[in-house]
Amino acid sequence: MPEPDDDFALDRLIHEPGRLAILTVLTSVAEADFVFLQRTTGLTKGNLSSHLTKLEDADLVRIEKRFVRKKPNTNVTLTEHGAERIARHWAQLDRLKGLAGPGRTA
Amino acid sequence: MQHSDVTTAVAENSHFRGLFGVVGGCLLILSALGNSAWGPFEHPAAFVAGVVVLGLAAWGLNSHYNSRYGWSRPTGRHHRRMAVAMFVGAPAIFFGSLLLSSRASWSLDLPLNTIAISMALIMLMVGAATVGVRTHHVVVYGTLLVAGLLPVWEREGMSGNTGLWMAGIALIISGLLDHRLLVRRFGSGGDAHA
Repeated sequence: MPEPDDDFALDRLIHEPGRLAILTVLTSVAEADFVFLQRTTGLTKGNLSSHLTKLEDADLVRIEKRFVRKKPNTNVTLTEHGAERIARHWAQLDRLKGLAGPGRTA
Repeated sequence: MQHSDVTTAVAENSHFRGLFGVVGGCLLILSALGNSAWGPFEHPAAFVAGVVVLGLAAWGLNSHYNSRYGWSRPTGRHHRRMAVAMFVGAPAIFFGSLLLSSRASWSLDLPLNTIAISMALIMLMVGAATVGVRTHHVVVYGTLLVAGLLPVWEREGMSGNTGLWMAGIALIISGLLDHRLLVRRFGSGGDAHA
């Protein structure tokens, strides 16, 4: 995946709305489980699972599966690399929004 | 999508688990009943039993909320903000209430209900430090604050207990409205595990 290093390029892996929502949720908490991510992002189980796999493959999130009171529980945390990429992406979106002028949203 | 939309959703999912407020409100009312030794609360064991029941209810609610709305661990920044609210705001409110009305020689000894005032300010402060103060918080705790500020309260007598009752009822109402907001925002679906 190419890094968004020129002025207008957006990180395509992160810019997909579902993945952007997942990573943004993970910047607001130290860690979250699958259900919290599902409820907060509004994604379906299948979509969330598929996005998490892609994010884990890109080393943007760390996934830990465990059992809590005999029920499966999936815990997700943002990696250092993921935190850098999502911060850079929001900065890039803000920059583009600034260029678009007042009253426009990303 | 706005960054603030997502962070607001995170805060709402984490802090609108309002049935905990109902338990907290019941605890305040239980304290008032214990103070006045009403009925079975003449025996201290009844108060202890009530606290145990409420503790079990809180444990059950925690499981319910975690299975339906998920679990998250707050960031260090959030912990620091709460610590500032607790270690700066809460003592300020406590000593402020002593200044307004207490047995201390330096107290202004005003006819106010400091329990109602303190609880209203603490809840508004906690709201501001976490999810943001919403309209129903302003209405419920604003009413509690105004009621506490009315110059009709005696420092002696049952004012303290009445303050606990009012604060308990405010906490229950606010908690139910928080929970309603949580359900409307994130749905009331069944257990979801993955």
